[in-house]
Amino acid sequence: MSSASSSQMGQLVADKHVRYILMAEKKESLESVVMDHLRMNGAYWGLTTLDLLDKLGTVSEDEVVSWIMTCQHESGGFAGNTGHDPHILYTLSAVQILALFDKINILDVGKVSSYVAGLQNEDGSFSGDMWGEIDTRFSYIAICCLSILKCLDKINVEKAVEYIVSCKNLDGGFGCTPGAESHAGQIFCCVGALAITGSLHHVDKDLLGWWLCERQTKTGGLNGRPEKLPDVCYSWWVLSSLIMIDRVHWIDKAKLAKFILDCQDLDNGGISDRPEDAVDIFHTYFGVAGLSLLEYPGVKAIDPAYALPVDVINRIAFTK
Amino acid sequence: MRQGPCSEEDCFGLLKQFEHVLESDPLIDEVGFIHPSQFTLLDKEAGFSNVYLQPHDGTSSKFWNQDHKLGISTDILVQLCKDAKHLFLLALDEYKCHGNACREPQIKSISSTPESEVMKHSQAVLLLSSDFGTAWNARKLILSKADKLFAFTDELRLSGLVLSNSPKSESTWSHRRWIIKMISRRFSTPQDIITKESELVESIGERSKMNYRAWYHRCWLVSYMEVEQVIQELNKSKRWAGLHLADNSCFHYRRRLMLKILDSLYVKGCNAYDKTQAHKIWKEELDWNKELVERYVGREALWLHRRFLSLNWIMYFTSNHSDVSPELGESIIMMSEEIAIFIDNEIHLLESSMTILDTKFEDYQAQVLHAVAYMLWLTKKMPELRRMLEEKLGTEKVKCLLSKIGEERPSLLHHLVNV
Repeated sequence: MSSASSSQMGQLVADKHVRYILMAEKKESLESVVMDHLRMNGAYWGLTTLDLLDKLGTVSEDEVVSWIMTCQHESGGFAGNTGHDPHILYTLSAVQILALFDKINILDVGKVSSYVAGLQNEDGSFSGDMWGEIDTRFSYIAICCLSILKCLDKINVEKAVEYIVSCKNLDGGFGCTPGAESHAGQIFCCVGALAITGSLHHVDKDLLGWWLCERQTKTGGLNGRPEKLPDVCYSWWVLSSLIMIDRVHWIDKAKLAKFILDCQDLDNGGISDRPEDAVDIFHTYFGVAGLSLLEYPGVKAIDPAYALPVDVINRIAFTK
Repeated sequence: MRQGPCSEEDCFGLLKQFEHVLESDPLIDEVGFIHPSQFTLLDKEAGFSNVYLQPHDGTSSKFWNQDHKLGISTDILVQLCKDAKHLFLLALDEYKCHGNACREPQIKSISSTPESEVMKHSQAVLLLSSDFGTAWNARKLILSKADKLFAFTDELRLSGLVLSNSPKSESTWSHRRWIIKMISRRFSTPQDIITKESELVESIGERSKMNYRAWYHRCWLVSYMEVEQVIQELNKSKRWAGLHLADNSCFHYRRRLMLKILDSLYVKGCNAYDKTQAHKIWKEELDWNKELVERYVGREALWLHRRFLSLNWIMYFTSNHSDVSPELGESIIMMSEEIAIFIDNEIHLLESSMTILDTKFEDYQAQVLHAVAYMLWLTKKMPELRRMLEEKLGTEKVKCLLSKIGEERPSLLHHLVNV
């Protein structure tokens, strides 16, 4: 638990976070057993954080990559772990991790992209898997994934955009489906998808910027919806959304940075949702990613739409 | 925990016990994880009624079952979860490879088929690890072949049980939606299933505040409702909303219902009665909201609700444009007598909200901020309103409003001033 005096605040204990991530794999707790179905997401959070801290080299690339491939299903999609069912969520994480290691070339791109494209529905929305749950998160995932694989033409982009726009609410925000409550996570997904497809003109930037800047609480941290407590993960979703719509100056960046740093466990590494709470990989990633967007020294730049280091995105852009 | 090799009987003993309890008490409606120390206390309180769950070796029981509630000791969770997953995946593999046919030599008991094994083990694993999607999918696969309504309603019971311990489990809520879709496709959509779903969300919302997944589910149900049911829902849920004023999700649900009523005015067959009824509903909500913001000072969710109510009131219920459909989005609002009166009242509300009775009391300061943000947000949506505001209050007063916003959100002020 964090017990530092105020003079120690304002410092990113990067080495401790690296150690925390590397050790997290080994622990067996109820949390790790219960989370093993989303190991692919966990791997993405951990590895991306390591890369942002320039320590990706500390893991065995071969081990990770071969494990990832054991998670691929015959349909082309990826599961959260070996032997589990495929889902669009894990498919994106798999592709993102391979991008980190510059190993996208080992994929049968046609197979993966067909799986993703096959999940688009007639109204332009995307299902998460064959069982049909629709959510704008899946729209973002499909668009982000296919963009990385350079197969966006496999889907009906116009209809995809149309569907996302239909999820816009009166307050300028977006929900999971039309009429759903605006939520910072969903907003990130919708704005990210619109950004990647060059469709940001559909966003009322001032209105959405207003909603997003109202997420900043007195603590400096950001919440995801009105009346909720601040949470480090919103440092990513709200911040990246604001950056994508050019309104990041509408929040107090210094206060936010301080909030994130206060959420660190200065002794054992890791970042929690808010100060003094228990740490986890999920919040460690979002905290570091948030600091990256705030241009904190010692953290590599991250792309706000693709949620991958900028140098990885550049590498992809200049390949093929 | 397990040490050394053991027969299949001993291994998975806890899992077998767990599954046996579930089978023997089909009316269990709540599952929870209990710390061992609380366990011995519960054992004592239960007297001898829990004795059948006590192990023969004298160690304390790991399961507690009373009044259709099931408690599981936290110290066995990791092993139990691993065992359940292991057997589930084996059973699933068996089912997928060989269908539901029993292979003679492998029959453990006459009543177990690969299908029933998958259902049994998936139930156990989901009560421990509710977001294990593969387990829910296996059940969907098997249920897809079911032709009795009972199979689906029983599935609603199981997922309800899972939610009693994991109210935020996204996979569980998603599974419920799949069940309802299946029911509506294969049978019909009995209105009472939708009503019961809505009530379930409300009861879960009581324990799990502003649970996005739960309230999203409730909003999703609205697409299955006819307007009469929508109006009923609005009335029925009002009391709960009045007791949970900080629950933004709850008020968003009301907005969802009201939008459905608004949308219904623009479909064929809509008549003057419908419009009058909608007008009445909207006015009632506005008046009720006003009462609440005046009585309960500084509540953000209430002021946000007012943004929605006022904007839509002006756009669709005043003599502005009577033919504009909500789908066309915002249109230019032209000032009319009716709108002017409405805005006048809102300005009065703003002025009274700006009276700080006690500067030390945070809620009064919040009230000022929310009221000012509300008014300025409306001026953002309706530029004519800004001019009206300056006319009524004078430029000095308006500057004062802007500076109030500036205290909390300096960049927002900058934007508003430069527009």
